[in-house]
Amino acid sequence: MKSIQGRLSLGLVAVLVVVGLGFAQLGLWLFEVGLQRYLESGLRKESENLLVALVRGPNGPQLDERRVSAAYQRPLSGYYFRIDFEHGSWRSRSLWDLEMPKPSRPGLESGHQLAPEGQQLLVLRADYRRLGQDISISVAQDYSPVRDGFRRLEQIGLGLGLVALLLILVLQRVTVTRSLRPLERARRQIAQLQQGRRSQLDEQVPSELEPLVAQINHLLAHTEDSLRRSRNALGNLGHALKTPLAVLLSLASSERLKDQPEVRAQLQAQLEQIQQRLARELNRARLAGDALPGAQFDCDAELPGLLATLGMIHGEGLALRSEVPPGLLLPWDREDLLELLGNLLDNACKWADSEVRLAIAQTAEGYRVWVDDDGPGIPEGARQSVLERGSRLDEQVDGHGLGLGIVRDIVEAWGGQLTLQESPQGGLRVDVHLPRR
Amino acid sequence: MRLLLVEDNVPLADELTASLQRQGYAVDWLADGRDAVYQGQSEPYDLIILDLGLPGLPGLEVLAQWRASGLLAPVLILTARGSWAERIEGLKAGADDYLSKPFHPEELQLRIQALVRRARGLANQPRLEAAGLHLDEARQCVTRDGLDVQLTAAEFRLLRYFMLHPQQILSKGHLAEHLYDGETERDSNVLEVHVNHLRRKLGRSVIETHRGQGYRYAGYGG
Repeated sequence: MKSIQGRLSLGLVAVLVVVGLGFAQLGLWLFEVGLQRYLESGLRKESENLLVALVRGPNGPQLDERRVSAAYQRPLSGYYFRIDFEHGSWRSRSLWDLEMPKPSRPGLESGHQLAPEGQQLLVLRADYRRLGQDISISVAQDYSPVRDGFRRLEQIGLGLGLVALLLILVLQRVTVTRSLRPLERARRQIAQLQQGRRSQLDEQVPSELEPLVAQINHLLAHTEDSLRRSRNALGNLGHALKTPLAVLLSLASSERLKDQPEVRAQLQAQLEQIQQRLARELNRARLAGDALPGAQFDCDAELPGLLATLGMIHGEGLALRSEVPPGLLLPWDREDLLELLGNLLDNACKWADSEVRLAIAQTAEGYRVWVDDDGPGIPEGARQSVLERGSRLDEQVDGHGLGLGIVRDIVEAWGGQLTLQESPQGGLRVDVHLPRR
Repeated sequence: MRLLLVEDNVPLADELTASLQRQGYAVDWLADGRDAVYQGQSEPYDLIILDLGLPGLPGLEVLAQWRASGLLAPVLILTARGSWAERIEGLKAGADDYLSKPFHPEELQLRIQALVRRARGLANQPRLEAAGLHLDEARQCVTRDGLDVQLTAAEFRLLRYFMLHPQQILSKGHLAEHLYDGETERDSNVLEVHVNHLRRKLGRSVIETHRGQGYRYAGYGG
């Protein structure tokens, strides 16, 4: 799709060129016609003067030299005449040895070229009856200076027209840019929306954009609302299922089943499976993923609370360190990211001896999150199976299992990558690459 | 040890109360958030187990009111909403630990033990140790000179409380408040009987009597 700006420019240029050329041509033509009318009246006067100068001589009609303008005497002066009688014709002296044809009809005629001087002649032929015979007097004037003037005028006009066209285009561009500015602003805001730096579009827009912006905002609110509702519903479902499950788990390990160890073991195993599956599926279902464009996670605001929580759960003996650039904003939903980081760190805390390290950095492709612990780590050969263990829902998992399974779900939902490595601190490093959105 | 359990699900509360009592805790049970605010402040609990989805008043609100009024007892939150965002909220409101449902009864037991010891400033260890005696809370027996001495439930409760408060003079009234739930008849003679049983099993010097003040745990050989 071509830009609106481009289309408007093209349309305007086309209209201006067609109309401008048309008007310029019409104007020049009208002007030339007017000028020729004016010159025609001069030529008619000249022909009448010549008619008056035609007197009866001893050998028929003759021209009274005194009454004829001197310009007709000077060779190639630009003023010429020829007088045609029934028998023969006279030419003005100024024609010298050049031939000026007699126009075929009475009236004004232009376009004769007087070789070799190249003078353009404007000829007026007028027919009279004098001294008892038909006389046709053709008076001509050199038209080339006028024509040259016209050409120059045309060029100047064309130049001026081009300048005006450029000026109009620039002004149009300014105007269009100015009137499209709300559109550009909306575009920027949508980009910010995508990066998670805003959650709604500005409603202060021209009336043409209002329905669009209102619709987008409505959609955003709707998405957010339905996500919140479905999270709420899932929370309620979880609550409804988890409390009875807690009762059953407690029952299964109570004294009352002491005499039936097989029943007890079976019951506990099955309940365990339900619990794992429930936890995993509920977590997976409540992921916001990419549904919310306005989401963002403020590391400075959220990480201290998370680290304090982990510190409280895992006791004072564990040092939790984080290396996060100040002011870093991650473009994902807060709850999802807390879930990701919480599970990663919780796992690390469970296995660490004394220290857990969290680092988040911005890279060319997106973001990188890694968590190190100084625990026993996982041998290289077993890492793949740990990851796979986490991805199989129907297996009993604990420790590095379930938490990593949830982390994997989140990372996959964001199109990222998760790898297990050896930490420089000796334990396990979980390395997560998340692509930019 | 006297615990307050605030949980609106009756079957779960029944189960938990029974299992906690087996472990030698005196348990008071409440189901309504508004009652919990009042009773948590008026009774000297050693630990509170709080469900978040409560009728009357939400659990987080209850917790916030307790903390605002200066309640210091450790609070363990029990909830079906186990996301990290909710966990952080709970701990920000002043909880000391967080257990999401469903959970294993042993997990709850371990968390309670850890919380009680942490609140007493004792290191996180599997067995309670004070002045020469080791108390195994899972088996409810005490180790002296490498020999296990079996305890009755009442003796275990009493000794655990003494060992969590070593070298402190504890009055009979204080002991009764922390060892029995709100519904038990508090008879100081019963306490004397249990103290005498402990002395008979562990030696006279383990618990000193301070006339007119109460008892003090002196330990073995200490």
